[in-house]
Amino acid sequence: MGILSWFKYRSPFGIAFMLQRITGVVLLLYLCLHLVYLTSLQSKELYESLTSLTVSKQFFVFDSLLILCGIFHGLNGLRIVVHELGFAHEKRKPILAVLVVLTILGWVLGSYILYTALGD
Amino acid sequence: MRGFEPIAWIFQALTGIAMVFLITAHFLTTHANHEMLSYENAVSRLGSFEYKVFYFFLLLFVTFHAFNGLRAIILDTDGGMRRKKVVNAVISVIALVAFFYGAFLLSRF
Amino acid sequence: MRLLIRRFDEKSYWQSFEVPVKRGMTVLDALFYVRENLDPTLAFRASCRMGICGSCAVKINGKPRLACETQISKFKKEIKVEPIDNFKVIRDLVTEFEGFFAKHKKVKPYLIAEADYENPVEWLQTPKELSRYYVFSLCIKCGACASVCPASATLNGYLGPAALVSAYRFNEDSRDNGKEERLKIVSDSVGVWRCHSAMECSEVCPKQIEPAKAIQLLRRSLLR
Ligand code: HEM
Ligand code: SF4
Ligand code: FES
Repeated sequence: MGILSWFKYRSPFGIAFMLQRITGVVLLLYLCLHLVYLTSLQSKELYESLTSLTVSKQFFVFDSLLILCGIFHGLNGLRIVVHELGFAHEKRKPILAVLVVLTILGWVLGSYILYTALGD
Repeated sequence: MRGFEPIAWIFQALTGIAMVFLITAHFLTTHANHEMLSYENAVSRLGSFEYKVFYFFLLLFVTFHAFNGLRAIILDTDGGMRRKKVVNAVISVIALVAFFYGAFLLSRF
Repeated sequence: MRLLIRRFDEKSYWQSFEVPVKRGMTVLDALFYVRENLDPTLAFRASCRMGICGSCAVKINGKPRLACETQISKFKKEIKVEPIDNFKVIRDLVTEFEGFFAKHKKVKPYLIAEADYENPVEWLQTPKELSRYYVFSLCIKCGACASVCPASATLNGYLGPAALVSAYRFNEDSRDNGKEERLKIVSDSVGVWRCHSAMECSEVCPKQIEPAKAIQLLRRSLLR
């Protein structure tokens, strides 16, 4: 099965592990893209042509998905830090439930902020 | 302390916690409204000392965290663990390149 | 009740059996019924029939459980029995445990202490000292934890939850002096660092040991 076996687990915690891994890699790829993108700051024309393309409603879906990845990975990361220090293993179910709620709230809020900033 | 692994683990956690705040701040400074993203504003931000320090630490933390995370994923496999030294070396080099490239971009303003 | 068994003999295939259900019957009883009445070639492992020996862990309807501790009445339609994952299948439900036990041995799962056998004295321990490790001493080496661990799945050398539970159990024993030796072993890169808190082991352990917690407590002691 190889590394696909990382994605076959069915307890909610196993799913959180799998998503942490996937979102971590997504964020890593985005980081690399982001650094390349920022090269454009060397030239005003290049920067403005790029931002007029990417800071737009067409790109909103991707931005919003990126926000979801970031918020889930960050909050779930905090949860992992707590458990990896040996704390709160017995309360892991309610903690994960709170995390799911916070992730959705953060996602909606972040997407809303971005969407309003995009204007018309 | 026993070698690099415990340090890597603690820094993975600390950089993660720090980034919750840093990335939230970064998101808000760039996307609260998109005036912030105009070329002039971006350049003047990057020119200010406070933002330079802020971005320097964000860059430092994120490159360590992301590439140490990638290292953990690769070492979870038979193939990766067999070539542990190579994996560690290659990931370190890529992380350093990413870090110095980001620092180079920062230094241009 | 229909019993679907994943068999293996050179190649793997599913075979279905009809088993009469009696009150109080366990999945292990059903396997014995099949072997005694329907197909004497069926291979599976069991010994104590009371959740003590750890031989009978199999995947039942997708989840690793002790066959001897799983009531048939728990299931409605059919019962699917498979060998546990992450272990090499030898035949039918029997899997290779050599590697698993070798990892257990690696962490020195015994008291390391000086004893004067000429003038033996009792080794006293307070209930409080006992409670520091008691629950982790309940492990029966059934392998259920290692069979669901994502790190064990892709890295053969990973010590795995059960061995790390043992390491923690002896490290927290007030009579033991082997802490440093064991911490050295578990802090290797095939040790505690491979755990990413997927918590699958804690979810399936039939003794509710919470192996994931033992691993993280080991990590915590490594910080000192
Ligand atoms: C926002 C705050 C963040 C927090 C609190 C956080 C937390 C964590 C933690 C605790 C882990 C370790 C998980 C484990 O032991 O398996 C982790 C893994 C990882 N993180 Fe983050 N992280 C954050 C942001 C980021 C960012 C921005 C990136 C990429 C640019 C990233 C990339 C990764 C990768 C690639 C992994 C490895 C995943 C794995 O081992 O499965 N993280 N993160
Ligand atoms: S820790 Fe639990 S699941 Fe793992 S071998 Fe011991 S008893 Fe079985
Ligand atoms: S037969 Fe011993 S644990 Fe099931």
